[in-house]
Order: sequence, then structure tokens, then C-alpha cells
Amino acid sequence: MCETCGCGQPDNFTIRMPGEELTDDHNRDHDHEHHHEHEHDDDHKHGDRHKHHHEHEEDHPHGHSYEQSSPTPRMIDISKDILSENNLTAERNRGFFEGRSIICLNLVSAPGSGKTTILEKTINERAKEREIFVIEGDQQSMNDAERIKKTGVPVVQINTGAGCHLDARMVNSAIKRLELSRNSVLFIENVGNLVCPALFDLGETKRVVVMSVTEGEDKPEKYPYMFASSHLCIINKTDLLPYVDFNVEKAMEYARRTNPDLEIILMSAKTGEGMQLWYEWIDKNQ
Amino acid sequence: MHELSLALEVLGLVTSEAAKNRVKVIHEIQIEIGKISGVESDVFQAALEISARNSILDNARIIIINSPGKGRCMSCSEEFDMEDLLALCPNCQHQPSEITGGRELKVLSMMAE
Repeated sequence: MCETCGCGQPDNFTIRMPGEELTDDHNRDHDHEHHHEHEHDDDHKHGDRHKHHHEHEEDHPHGHSYEQSSPTPRMIDISKDILSENNLTAERNRGFFEGRSIICLNLVSAPGSGKTTILEKTINERAKEREIFVIEGDQQSMNDAERIKKTGVPVVQINTGAGCHLDARMVNSAIKRLELSRNSVLFIENVGNLVCPALFDLGETKRVVVMSVTEGEDKPEKYPYMFASSHLCIINKTDLLPYVDFNVEKAMEYARRTNPDLEIILMSAKTGEGMQLWYEWIDKNQ
Repeated sequence: MHELSLALEVLGLVTSEAAKNRVKVIHEIQIEIGKISGVESDVFQAALEISARNSILDNARIIIINSPGKGRCMSCSEEFDMEDLLALCPNCQHQPSEITGGRELKVLSMMAE
């Protein structure tokens, strides 16, 4: 929760470019808007909404006192989606991408399915034809951002701290650090986790779930929410098929049971199998 | 633990609704969590109770309403209750079904003064 104002917005994530030191004033993200509606006795009149940028060092509990408050309890209808704030920010992100013809792909998977390797290969083979930008999401470390930096494309790392997923607000802050060009591709590599990221719309154009043949073929059945909310499923590391007990047909059947519209690409980022299909899929979703 | 993130979202939402409605004390809050929303009600409730400490929701009664999962078979159009996201149609055993209810995550109302 936001320690400053108790508004319930997590603000404990950090955003930095590779090589950048973590300094409090630069990277602690606390630029969300606070909407306050005060009653003032003095003649200083506010518009209903204004932004506050709080400094973290200050400890200032907001005790708002109101002149008139109802003396008896009453039922107040709220009827709002719990994720409404996230979804609103996601739609802002989406509008930003659409306005610039940017395709934004949210890559989700369990840890170790090969997302970063797929990205490296994609960048090496495609970045000459089309500008690519990357947002890396991990609980901790700059490792993935450092790997992507070596390919030469702009990358920013979000560290979620205790958080188990990226949310739209983090992405909104991260895209302010990247100077995204028109017609580019933005890859967001989400935190490796097949549960939590499923619920959080980031504003992406499409969601891509990656599983690998070293995982069980019943992953889609075990984590149906992620597969149900994705547009494309990449089954990666197919070069290892001769050595593992993984039934591709069954995996595809499980995946389509959770989501009949799910497109599937068999891939080996190592040997290059399926990469062409992946590039065609990206282009067709422009 | 996305339940904790959701609990913090609820706290933010309720804090701003309380200010909007000029209430200082919340006695009770009603929240709808669909049975096939992907959120564990018990975990969510515990997360909200912890998050509520020293906030406007401290001491408020948290009432969670679990709306049932509802589906319509994509093959025979049978409408039925879904225990989970991958429930089979009881009529023709087809899978998957179109989900028509049970994915709600909503703050419904609060009793406050």
C-alpha cells in the first residue's frame, strides 16, 4: 500500500535502465494521481481534482475532517470493479499504443520456459526491419535487462519487489522511460508466474503464453486462467522433444479446451523452428 | 498472491468512495467474488483484513458474496452451474463453455457514517 497516503496503491516497484543506479528520487515510483475532495472553510477554492506528488520521507497521515457528516449509518452503493483502476490505466496504455501503431505483446509463462531467449532471437533476427523495445518484469535483479541490452535495443527493467505480477500502472510508468517509436513492437516480459499475471490487463495488444516441452503437457489444465486469457500459445524447446515425455497433441488439446480460439506455434528458439511463423503472427497483428 | 494486490485495490477504492461520500466510519463492506474469477475468497478476505489495519476499513465487517459460476455449452447451449473454469457440460460432456457468470470482482456497497 502507498505508505504516504494510505490510498492502497502499491508503490514499491522500481524502474531502471541497465547500468542505472537505484536512487530514491529517480526510481521510486510515486507519481500516481490522488483525487481529493475537500471542503474548505477559507476562501481558497479548489477544483474537484488535483494532483499531489508526495515525497516519501514525509510522514503525514491525512486526517480529513468534514463539517457535515451523516450522523447515522447509511448504505452507500459503490458497484465498482475491484480492478477498475488497473483497467482504466490499461486502456490508457492501449490507446497510447494504438495511436502510434505500436504492437504491444505481453509474454507470460512459468519461470524458465525460455521467454528471454525467444526475445533475444527475435531481436537479433528482426530488429533491423522493425524497431523493438522491451520491458522486463522480475521480482528482483537486472539480469534479463542486461541480456536484452546486449542485443542493442532499448530496455527497461521493472522490479516488482514482493509483487508476483506486473500491473498496468507499472507499465504506464515504464513506457515513460522508453521513447517508443511509431510502428514499433513493444515486448513486455511479465514475471514468471502462470497464476497472478492472468488477472491484470496491462493494455497489451495481445497476450502470449509460453510453455516448454520440459514442463507437463497438462499445464493448460492446471493453469486455465492464463491460457483462457491468451491469444497465442508458444510451445517452446521442441528440440528437446526426443528426450522428454511430452505429448504435443495432448498439450494442444488441453490448451484449446481452455480456449478454443487460442493460436498455437511450436517453436525452438535454439534451432529456429517456428520462428518464421512467430514473425508472421506478429506482423499480422499489427 | 494476487489476492493481496486486489485487497489493496479495494482499500484504495473504498478510501476514495468514503471521501466522496463524506463518511468517516465504515461499519460494513460488501464485496462480490465470483466462484470462477480466479480469486480465492478466503485468501482474499485474510489479505483484506491485514491490509485494513489502521485504515478506514479497520474494524469494518467484511462480507464476501460468492456468485456462482455459470456457463452455456458451446455445443448444445445447455446452461449450467460451473464448479471450475473447465467444467464439462452435464448434458453433452462438451468442453469448453461460454462463461456467463462467476467472474465478478466487485465492491458492491458499504454501510458507513
